[in-house]
Amino acid sequence: MKSYITDTRNRAILSKDMKIIELLDVDYRLLSIFQRLDIQLPYGDISVEEMCDRYDMSIELFLMICRVYIESDYRPEVERLKVQDLSHLLKYLRASHQYYLESLIPRIARGIEQVLQLCEKSQRAILQRFYSGYVDDVKAHLRYEENQMFPYVESIIESGIVDQVKMGDFVDNHTDICDKIDDIKSIVIKYLPESCSTQQRCDLLFDIFALREELAKHTMLEMTILAPVVINSEFGRL
Amino acid sequence: MKRLVRVAVVEPSDIICEGVKSLFVGSEYDVVCTTTNINHLIDRLPTYSPDVVIVGSQLVANLSQGVRYAYPNLQGVVLILLSTTVCDDEIVRYFDNVVNIYDSREQILRKMESAIEQNQTNPYSDSHDLSERERDVLVLVAKGMANKEIADKLNISIHTVMSHRKNIAHKTGIKSVAGLTVYALLNNLLDAADVNM
Repeated sequence: MKSYITDTRNRAILSKDMKIIELLDVDYRLLSIFQRLDIQLPYGDISVEEMCDRYDMSIELFLMICRVYIESDYRPEVERLKVQDLSHLLKYLRASHQYYLESLIPRIARGIEQVLQLCEKSQRAILQRFYSGYVDDVKAHLRYEENQMFPYVESIIESGIVDQVKMGDFVDNHTDICDKIDDIKSIVIKYLPESCSTQQRCDLLFDIFALREELAKHTMLEMTILAPVVINSEFGRL
Repeated sequence: MKRLVRVAVVEPSDIICEGVKSLFVGSEYDVVCTTTNINHLIDRLPTYSPDVVIVGSQLVANLSQGVRYAYPNLQGVVLILLSTTVCDDEIVRYFDNVVNIYDSREQILRKMESAIEQNQTNPYSDSHDLSERERDVLVLVAKGMANKEIADKLNISIHTVMSHRKNIAHKTGIKSVAGLTVYALLNNLLDAADVNM
């Protein structure tokens, strides 16, 4: 039996009164969100509200992040969020970067290496070079955010003063890092030689799909929560 | 002369069958078969080799699955639903278009045309192999040439180059130049010495 309330399309309605354990019943992948927000186990029977109190986190922000992850057509309404609420989002985004760079991206590199074991040397080199080119793009993208965009937002949070208007530029400079991972997906599914093991190819594809989805959600959080809240405060000048 | 589009009509009502047939007189559509039983058509599919199959909605209203799953042989043809009864959205979405019996001749012809056009760009349709011309364009893209250079080299317009590139991306599922280069190399369309990745 479901432990949560659903709408007419049988989708969970998330609320502050839900228990954390119930949230995980809705979608176990939310566990990775808790991890990145540094929420410590055991969760016991605490509710979303209690947990947010404990970590001094905005309930609305927390539920928005969860909904971006589990509802594909969800668009956050950020009017009620304050720029100070964003500190947990930044923490989350930084932790995500770390997860991509230290776990997911190297794992895909190893997966590609294994899949290509039986290929000709030249074919191996081609795909590895393509992937490492992609990784360079992703690293540059994440570095830009960490060195430029996040510190800017943090300075506003800390000082409570907006003395320049930069968020629009950050949004304009936000490069696409999803296209090439789609290309890798197509190549692995359609065009690798038959000598590549199906099992290894599938293992690799799970990681590729995971990274693709992660990056899309990540972009969504930045473009529909982070950027609008900062832009609102730039215009209101706090 | 332009080849006529071969149409098969599967519909239990003779009146409607004849109606559809006479509607297409003088058009680019040639009704090659009318039948009340879809299996009759499936059995003789190679003989009739229709481009378009128009199916009466009564025949599919009770299908528990999409028509393309129920009749996998129809995978490559354009499927039009002839709506005479209320149909479940689930049924409708497997068709390329829906024609209502109250539609005018012009509306029907327009719907046929748009369904055929759509089916040609349908990602699930038959061939994903690149045409010879698309391969030419692909190789030049992989070599790092710009659209203008490719157009000059192949003696075609930029517009045509762009439309080839769109088709290539669509068929291969690969958008980036670097990705297309990988494709070209893996398929031996190109030698590694020709590119600097």
